[in-house]
Amino acid sequence: MKSLKNRTSLLLLPSMLFLLLPLYGMVAAIHQSFSVNNQWTLQNYIQLLESERFVASTIFSLKTSLAATLISLVIGLLLTRYFYTFLERNTPRLMVWLPMLFPHFVWGYMVILVLSETGVVSQMLQAAGWISSSSEFPVWTRDSQGIGIIITYVWKEVPFVILMLLPVYSSIKSEYHDLVKTLGGNRWHRFKTVEWPHILPVFIETFLIVFSFTLAAYEVPALLGTTFPEMLSVLSYDWFYGSSWDDRPLAFAAMVLLSLGVILLTAAAYLFLNKKRWKAMRGRST
Amino acid sequence: MTLTLEVNQLKKQFHDKSILYDLSFELHKGEILSIVGPSGSGKTTLLRILAGLEAPTDGSIVMQGKNITDKKANKRNVSLVFQQPLLFPHMTVKENIRYGAKIAKKDLKKTDQLLKSIGLELYADHYPSELSGGQKQRVALARAMATEPDVILFDEPFSSLDPKLRQEMRYWVRQFLVERSITSIFVTHDIDEAMIMGDRIALFHEGTFQQIDRLSTLHEAPANAFVARFLGGHLVIDSDHYAPLSSCYLSASDAGEDPRTFEAAVQQVTYQNGQAIGHIYVDELNEKVSLPIKHFNHNDRIKLYIAKSMIRRFGGSHL
Repeated sequence: MKSLKNRTSLLLLPSMLFLLLPLYGMVAAIHQSFSVNNQWTLQNYIQLLESERFVASTIFSLKTSLAATLISLVIGLLLTRYFYTFLERNTPRLMVWLPMLFPHFVWGYMVILVLSETGVVSQMLQAAGWISSSSEFPVWTRDSQGIGIIITYVWKEVPFVILMLLPVYSSIKSEYHDLVKTLGGNRWHRFKTVEWPHILPVFIETFLIVFSFTLAAYEVPALLGTTFPEMLSVLSYDWFYGSSWDDRPLAFAAMVLLSLGVILLTAAAYLFLNKKRWKAMRGRST
Repeated sequence: MTLTLEVNQLKKQFHDKSILYDLSFELHKGEILSIVGPSGSGKTTLLRILAGLEAPTDGSIVMQGKNITDKKANKRNVSLVFQQPLLFPHMTVKENIRYGAKIAKKDLKKTDQLLKSIGLELYADHYPSELSGGQKQRVALARAMATEPDVILFDEPFSSLDPKLRQEMRYWVRQFLVERSITSIFVTHDIDEAMIMGDRIALFHEGTFQQIDRLSTLHEAPANAFVARFLGGHLVIDSDHYAPLSSCYLSASDAGEDPRTFEAAVQQVTYQNGQAIGHIYVDELNEKVSLPIKHFNHNDRIKLYIAKSMIRRFGGSHL
């Protein structure tokens, strides 16, 4: 058995070697975030946490990506729940998944074309006489509330949520719904006892993927955001490529903190889903 | 004495296809009715209608004197035990059993009593994935009972179990229901199971009951050729006449004077309870029967003798 084990680890070797590259980047980033003039120090982190710009950016980032994630999940869940038999057919499914084919940047640009003050919708409303000038159209892109960012992400991630939830919904036996009915349960009981436990693991997984992506991705907020408050990724980019090199360690420190947050969140989700109850849900007894 | 369940002239149509028609029967408190019939004949549809999961096209269902035909499933005092146990995988045994009782705000002490009576006290905090097939089905039964239904419906609940366990479960469930005098309907395609489980047996075919009687009556006076063939204890001679197999002989001398004679062939010899059984094909009637056989072998041509006085007309108590 030992030789077999060795062979398995050998098979892992190429991917490990490949992972060395990003791993080196990460270690270097962590290293730089903890050093000033080649001395180990927490100074960068202290400076970061004292920076009003960073705190505002963090709050704005968390708010924006949490909103985008939750709205995507709820819309995706509702669409899947009510249309999954329809979505199992090829054409509707492909139509729903269409936004996934476009890069985020392209989708963000499209949102600007459609929803900016001089965009397609605004011009159509003007032509129809609903508004008299483009200044009456609400500011939905490059706004300080992150509405444009949220709209882009929701539009883009809803298909992803459906992609994740559809197989789960298709696999729920309809007899379970009948069972709850014969035991006296109503619609809410059916959702709570049949659907929710089935989708919960995938739901949490999807939340983590969408949340960590929207929290840290650069292109959409760069395109659709404002300069203050800005998303963490935009701020870090600024610090990294800014005129002085002094801010670089701050960029690293910000990204390290962000990664740490995502790792902790993932660990919490992992521990939760490894509780006996949710393991049993997957048919595992130990 | 009021009847627990009264079904009148039930009809069900899917598009143009008639699944059930003119189906009537009644059940007294504590009675167990087996419904037996070929697979795919609509037995499950009947149960689903009784449970309220589907609406009948016509007819009425009266329970404890109240018409419940238009009541939804969750407002009916009926439980259904499915083919699969369908336990909630993320709930413990105890939580599963309590589920329906909690919704109905019933006394939870009684449900804990149920846990004891299915012999799974030690498994109260286990999850379904830790139970065997038979244990799961016992929990499913306890969960169905916890809502204290007026009637429990069983839809081939043992079909997913292996044969030995299935046999054990039949006796166990039957005793469990009888001891508590729980009114129940037990659907199966297996006549043996129907005979073990039911006080009365309803033979279901082509959308309605061909006959509904105690087992002995079914055998002594089958209502028609379908019933006689399904039970297997008779030779059907034509659509009006049959002869019990106990009066079919393989030698002329046993059958008395002037017997009717049928040409036949032994298709196969098997053993049941240590006795050789010949599976005999009667060419002239295009019927197959099974008889104890001694001197014949596979492929032998034989003659079947039946005393004319033993040939009877169909028409036992039809419903």
